[in-house]
Amino acid sequence: MKNRKVIIALLDNLIWPLLIVTIIIFNFASDKFLTTFNVTNILIHAAVLGILTVGQSFTMITGNFDLSAESSLAITALIGAWLILPSGAPNFGGDVFLPVGLAIIALLMVGVIAGWINGFLITKLKMNNFIVTLAMLIVLRGLMLVISEGKTMTGLPDSFKALGHDNLGNIPISVLVMVIVFIIAHIIMQYTQFGRNLYAVGGDPDAALAAGIDPEKRIRQVYLISGFLAALGGLMLAGRTGVIVENMGSGMIFEIQAAAVIGGISLLGGRGTMVGAFGGVLLLSVIDSGLSLMRVSSFWIEVFSGLIILVAMMIDAQKVRYSKIPSAKNETSIKEI
Amino acid sequence: MVEANKYVIEMHDIVKTFPGVRALNHVDFRLKEGEIRSIVGKNGAGKSTLMNILTGIYQPDQGDILVKGQLIKPMTTEKARELGIAYVHQHSQLVPALSIAENIFLGDLLTEKTGFVNWKKVRTEAEAQLSELGLNVDVQRKVEDLSIAEKQLLEIAKALFANAHTIVLDEATAPLPKEDVQMLFDFVKRMSAQGVAFIYISHYLVEVFELCKAVTVLRDGKKVGDYYVCDLDQPELIHLISGEKVEKFHREHHKLNGKKVLEFRNVTKSGHYENIDFALNKGEIVGITGLEGSGKAKLVRGLFGLEPSAESGEVVVDGSIFNAKDPEKAINEGVAYLPRDRHGLGIVGARPVSENITLSILKRLANKLGFLNLSKEQKHVEDYIDKLGIVTPSTNQRVQFLSGGNQQKVVFAKLASTEPKILLLNEPTQGVDVQAKVEIMKIVDQLSHQGVGVIIISEEIRELVNVCDRIIVIYNGEIVKEFNTKDRNTTPEKVLMAIEGETKKK
Repeated sequence: MKNRKVIIALLDNLIWPLLIVTIIIFNFASDKFLTTFNVTNILIHAAVLGILTVGQSFTMITGNFDLSAESSLAITALIGAWLILPSGAPNFGGDVFLPVGLAIIALLMVGVIAGWINGFLITKLKMNNFIVTLAMLIVLRGLMLVISEGKTMTGLPDSFKALGHDNLGNIPISVLVMVIVFIIAHIIMQYTQFGRNLYAVGGDPDAALAAGIDPEKRIRQVYLISGFLAALGGLMLAGRTGVIVENMGSGMIFEIQAAAVIGGISLLGGRGTMVGAFGGVLLLSVIDSGLSLMRVSSFWIEVFSGLIILVAMMIDAQKVRYSKIPSAKNETSIKEI
Repeated sequence: MVEANKYVIEMHDIVKTFPGVRALNHVDFRLKEGEIRSIVGKNGAGKSTLMNILTGIYQPDQGDILVKGQLIKPMTTEKARELGIAYVHQHSQLVPALSIAENIFLGDLLTEKTGFVNWKKVRTEAEAQLSELGLNVDVQRKVEDLSIAEKQLLEIAKALFANAHTIVLDEATAPLPKEDVQMLFDFVKRMSAQGVAFIYISHYLVEVFELCKAVTVLRDGKKVGDYYVCDLDQPELIHLISGEKVEKFHREHHKLNGKKVLEFRNVTKSGHYENIDFALNKGEIVGITGLEGSGKAKLVRGLFGLEPSAESGEVVVDGSIFNAKDPEKAINEGVAYLPRDRHGLGIVGARPVSENITLSILKRLANKLGFLNLSKEQKHVEDYIDKLGIVTPSTNQRVQFLSGGNQQKVVFAKLASTEPKILLLNEPTQGVDVQAKVEIMKIVDQLSHQGVGVIIISEEIRELVNVCDRIIVIYNGEIVKEFNTKDRNTTPEKVLMAIEGETKKK
């Protein structure tokens, strides 16, 4: 009994020793690793990933997830740019010429609407969250191609790029925003009624309902949050790269999920903290940067990304294993005698 | 005829230690061919561990297992199966969406040479095999439509087809309806006469007395002894199980001031309950009992907003019409509900004790912006842990690591935190050990003294007679009888008769 609790506590906080060991290894492997320049780069990479991981963590804590996040990120950025830029090469905008401020508000709204649709389909029409968000992932990516006709948008105004591109003193604004988002998320989860409700809904939706919480309402709310944060991430990524390409953010969902899960946010729901998720984001960014510094071929980086996801899921599966009460475990471990 | 004194199972000097706990301490267990033996003990006494060792799920640290006189080392789940030892769990291992016939031949469907399944043969074979056991059923029925007892019968039958000679029937977490118990027990007795041995694990001592000849008592991982049930009565057995004289809880009726806190006025939901009409006073405890499916549980679940409410009639709480569409509203109006299934609706296992206790009163602990007053919460939680005697190493302990009785107390703490006017309890002592039952009933009594009106839905009639002021019997969705427990003529036997519809037939 005691032992099991120790193992669970270890698995829940595994992210920190993992992170430290990884940093030490890369520091030995490359003397450029812990330079100000590289650390800044790591943090910039962590910024967009971090913001989307926060959104993902909200949905995961309620026992859901949002696979459509990477497409929401891309299409919101695209729509923002389209509303500003003139049509024709090299901008390929929509000739709407909306002021930048309004365009940003519009793109954030698009993210929220995408989240609202996810939440509506899952809770009102009782559709499976995996299928709904997977379909949304494909639909939004397709819409993006329809609008952009596959062309790369360039010439974004500086004010649009500021969030992802500019510095405040020596610190990139995107990093500051990411840290602030994490702090707010942490406060919500630990110190508010809303956060407690989310943990209860993910831990056991029926028990939450019987305790006077509306689980479906909470699930709709986390999808709104996830959609909003995906849009914010999109704005930042567009600012960082300065262009909108049709495969923007493609494949990022795996990195997002891996960061959350390796940081202790369980796929089971009801478990994990935003502090842990932050650790997960740092770990993935550190690995990404470290491997590039060591000039590992991009093919091998692919392999490592896959392995990280496997490790994250393995840790989560062990948590599930050790969380189960022994009698429950027996019931599943023997089939037919 | 069964050859006497031939042991099918012998377990010698079994020791099993889990980190921090000695689960089994030099336990011996022997079972004869065709015997029906019960193993009883509190939660954590070692019953399940012993059976898990017998069926090869756990390996003992020490000790031998002999099956039909042959030493088996090590025992594995595969070997247990080959040797004819079957483990039938309460939680069914059957596939719900498939028919009885398909479940019987699961994994070994009768196929033609072409590779296609011969469904007709599957059906006729299944029918033939079941009728050989004296079970005449429609094998095309889906398993999900069967009752718990029928599923257990099917599982035993499956084990018998696989040539099992010893069948472990694990603890029923829910009492089965009377006629189902009879059906199950008849079958078990018939099979035992043919030489199949049964090990029956249960909290329900009445059933133990009814089914078994002998009982093995375990306490804190040690064997207390083997006894013939004819040498014991129930209090003696309880004494052996707990090791201490269990104080029998008998409630002192306190004077009621006659103020109604809840009234059902001709409440009807066709197909479930009809013309329900009764009142609950402040500080009163009313038991509602009846067979499984009689509508008693639907009534309170409907009141709490977990099911669509009644079609006609009205419910009055504290003088005003009450119609909660969801639990949130019911809680706000002063109604609290203890679900029958603690794991499904009661606790959030992965979250700490503290968060579970305050889950329904977060609004009260939060300021306008939704920020929680954590020190106030901590004080509240410590208060209730103290008041209800919840045994937990800390307020941060995940509830899933507490014992059944303590989990149930956490649910009570959550309900009491809302300071309800009405407490609806659906089988409050189910699946908790004898000691915890008494403690839980004391908590209910305390709450009633504070003026809370309590409704207990239960099939444990003795307990109801001990605790309630009145007992209402529902049969087929209608109130058929009401007992006043102050009346000395109210005996559990009479209540039982009413439950089975005696009054209805006359």
